Amino acid sequence: MSENFVERARYLCSLGGAAATVTALPGGVPILHSASGCAGNFAWTQNGGSGLQVGGYCGSLTVPSSNIGETEVVFGGEERLREQIASTLKVMHGGLYVVVTGCVPEVIGDDIFAVVNDFRSEGVSIIGAATGGFRGDSYWGYDLVLQALVKDYLAKGIEKAKGRVNLWGVVPYMDPFWRGNLEGARRLLELIGLEVNSFFTPADTLEGIQAAASAELNIVASDLYGQGAARLFEEKHGTPFVTAPLPIGVSASEEFLRQVGAALSLDEGLVERVIAREKKEYYQILDPLTDCYNDLDLQRYAVVVGDANYAVALTRFLADDLGWLPALTVVTDRVQESEQSAIAGRVGQLASGFATNVVFESDGSQVLGHLNRVWPQPAGQKYYNSFSPAFVVGSSLERELALQIGAPHLSVSFPVANRAVLDRGYTGFRGGLRLAEDLFGAIVVNR
Amino acid sequence: MSYFDNKVPPKREDRLKAVIAHNDSICGLALKARGGKGCLIDDGDRGFTQGTICLLLPALAMLNSLPDNVVLLHSALGCGSCTHSQNANVRMGSNARWGKAKDGVWLSTALDETDVISGGEDKLARAIIEADRRYRPASITIVAGCVPGIIGDDIDGVAQRLQPQVSAKLLPVHCEGFKTKIWATAYDAVYHTIGRNLLEEKGVTDYAPQDEFEVLREQERLAKTVNLMNVSSMGRVDEQELERLLESLGLEVNVFPVFAHPDSFVKATRAALSISTCPTHDDYFLGYLEERFGVPSIIKHMPIGIENTSLWIRDVARVFGFEEQAERLIASEEAELKASLEEFRPLFEGQKVFVSAGEFRALATARLLQEIGLEVVGIRSFHHDHFAEVEYDKLAREAKSDYVVDIANVQPFEEANLLNRLKPDLFLGHANGNMTAAKLGIPTHVIYNTGLAYIGYRGVYEIARRLHRQLSNPAYNRNLAENLKLPYRDSWYQAEPFSYLNTRGRSVNE
Repeated sequence: MSENFVERARYLCSLGGAAATVTALPGGVPILHSASGCAGNFAWTQNGGSGLQVGGYCGSLTVPSSNIGETEVVFGGEERLREQIASTLKVMHGGLYVVVTGCVPEVIGDDIFAVVNDFRSEGVSIIGAATGGFRGDSYWGYDLVLQALVKDYLAKGIEKAKGRVNLWGVVPYMDPFWRGNLEGARRLLELIGLEVNSFFTPADTLEGIQAAASAELNIVASDLYGQGAARLFEEKHGTPFVTAPLPIGVSASEEFLRQVGAALSLDEGLVERVIAREKKEYYQILDPLTDCYNDLDLQRYAVVVGDANYAVALTRFLADDLGWLPALTVVTDRVQESEQSAIAGRVGQLASGFATNVVFESDGSQVLGHLNRVWPQPAGQKYYNSFSPAFVVGSSLERELALQIGAPHLSVSFPVANRAVLDRGYTGFRGGLRLAEDLFGAIVVNR
Repeated sequence: MSYFDNKVPPKREDRLKAVIAHNDSICGLALKARGGKGCLIDDGDRGFTQGTICLLLPALAMLNSLPDNVVLLHSALGCGSCTHSQNANVRMGSNARWGKAKDGVWLSTALDETDVISGGEDKLARAIIEADRRYRPASITIVAGCVPGIIGDDIDGVAQRLQPQVSAKLLPVHCEGFKTKIWATAYDAVYHTIGRNLLEEKGVTDYAPQDEFEVLREQERLAKTVNLMNVSSMGRVDEQELERLLESLGLEVNVFPVFAHPDSFVKATRAALSISTCPTHDDYFLGYLEERFGVPSIIKHMPIGIENTSLWIRDVARVFGFEEQAERLIASEEAELKASLEEFRPLFEGQKVFVSAGEFRALATARLLQEIGLEVVGIRSFHHDHFAEVEYDKLAREAKSDYVVDIANVQPFEEANLLNRLKPDLFLGHANGNMTAAKLGIPTHVIYNTGLAYIGYRGVYEIARRLHRQLSNPAYNRNLAENLKLPYRDSWYQAEPFSYLNTRGRSVNE
């Protein structure tokens, strides 16, 4: 990892994540207070990294943007923002307008909240978030939008409803499988009788989001994404939260259900009955693969490269569900040292007993170097226990690595440039079957 | 004094009086052009604006294509993440040229709050040194985004100071997005660094051939070498079409500057002629090549469409005295193409089309669409400057009605309103600019995609073929229109489409 630069950043800036997040809200209309190019930059980024998903109801180049320039840098951009909001309300139809800021207005010190609050006091459904690009990456932008919702949009002082939960931690577009993953995780929770507010799927509504404080628990399916908002939620609305890894596949889904069940003091018998039923179904579907899994020798060594959510979830799925050997796990987010142990700990004690090596490395070109350290190259010996047959699960930027080590490859984590994604997801029991299909499919594609 | 003596190129608002917010018609613009008023159209602002791109994006499209180059963005983390999409062009382009798909390398200094307060120059210096050591590239393009533009980091000073310490050629490029509304300034920004850093030091003088025969051969070759300018809006397939046409006149082609190695840039200074395919791209640099190295240039027609391709060939041929050869080539190419297009005409005849893209691209493509039998009913150009007057004139001559020309740097809300009124049968738009028409149910095709053919005679045929496909089954867009809504209020479709345009002397928003 370099101290001085980020190589081929596998995310956008906080404004990019914030804009994508607002776009994904039901009826969400982002209003960018930024220089003109930010929206285009995000559109092109998603075009090349989010599994061909750009746009939505009000995304891509359709987003209202104040497009401030040199004049505003000199004289301030608040008046331009005021004009832009007023005209946006006349032209664009939205359920919730969210002003998000880029670098330029933040550096020059525009006070967007003063402007936004004037419109709010007139009854406009509008909130704001200071998301200037230098504040962090797109995952943090997602968190900032959730925080703005928690602070300024959610109804306060409403009663908690039994069995109602909010589900966070899957970041729209930054996780190209966000829709499917949210739906998969929601179905899991519905299996144990919960009512789930997942904010970003077609099943969600602004009314539901506004009433989110009625949840008795927030579930954050990520060690990093949405954590800030969950803490703020607890502080403002008194709702506790649990942090769970992204539940991909049978083992992780099982644990996810038990963890949530315990946090809500649900009837253990119910949870176990659900798990037993789902596992029975899962293995019944997996059953016919068995001959080929063994006959074709489909067990693989693996390198896993991904963001904090995927690196953990994929490693665990490969080792504990598929019985693969993920010898190297690379987390590509820039994770602070204080947060690294929590993430590494997720795969520190795998149920299968297989031990992986976790590396925090934001520069993808360095992965091969890490692999060579973990698994030294042959030194001319006749018999050598090679890192083969192998598989690379990562982003589309890992294609070159896969070529170098002669392994098949599947793009799962951002950027996903070489797959089309609509509602495919890998969470839950069924999601694990989808992932198994995709992995084995990549191995036998030329058969 | 040349513009190239300054660190930063001038913006196009000042240099060319280019405009981005204007409502006019095809006859109005052609009339202004003929009246000799040039580009003296009032520019304005909009009271409602949507997101667009800045000069950073097209600049990166060029820089990312350079082989053996590392793009180092000096800005906040997000700037340049568009490369995730441009990387497809880098991979396909390198595969088409060298048989190997290769990812680009792009880095970000990821300026944070601390850097914003205390300045980012030291961080940039360390990043340059580390990038040089790690990747050993031939060049590092140091691209400044908005933040260093505001906090005042001097990327040129850092590059100059560090150049002796690194092996890569350091190329500072100014892409501070808030500084210009005309993102075609991107081409000037990139050419500016090429002109300042890659041409001068080698120049013409240090070419030292071994013997007289070789000198003669080289002179003969150079007398027939032409620079074909490509700033990344053409893919390899379009380059090949133009190479085919130029080579059939006996010329040797040096495609420049995309996918050109920095070391080969010096070749451009010794060519007999530089040929632009688009004035929006190349005027700044070609003026410099002519002024400093005596390389004359042609910058007039864009070789899109039958008439324009033939005009473009004639202009080149005239320089070398190849007029007769050119006429024979044109006659046979046109005859063959026109006969092949007959198959598509019945479906095209009388169909109305709306075109939207960068100015020259939009106008030249509109002309092509007229030629294959479609009726142009509206054009949206990203900006306007005087170079396009010749194209407005051509279009006006063939226009069936006095249709609208919207000068707008994207702004799909104006487009949605216009499309809803005009109800065209077909829409052609820039990449990332087609969803509005698509969701309105209009058959839609992209006007720019480096994997597809657009240029020359072959381009005409391939566009016709693709449009024929679109019109033969527009079910995808029709289904979208029946089931999706654009995010505009119903009242917006009733409003005057240019309600939010405030040109000087025009009342505000009404």
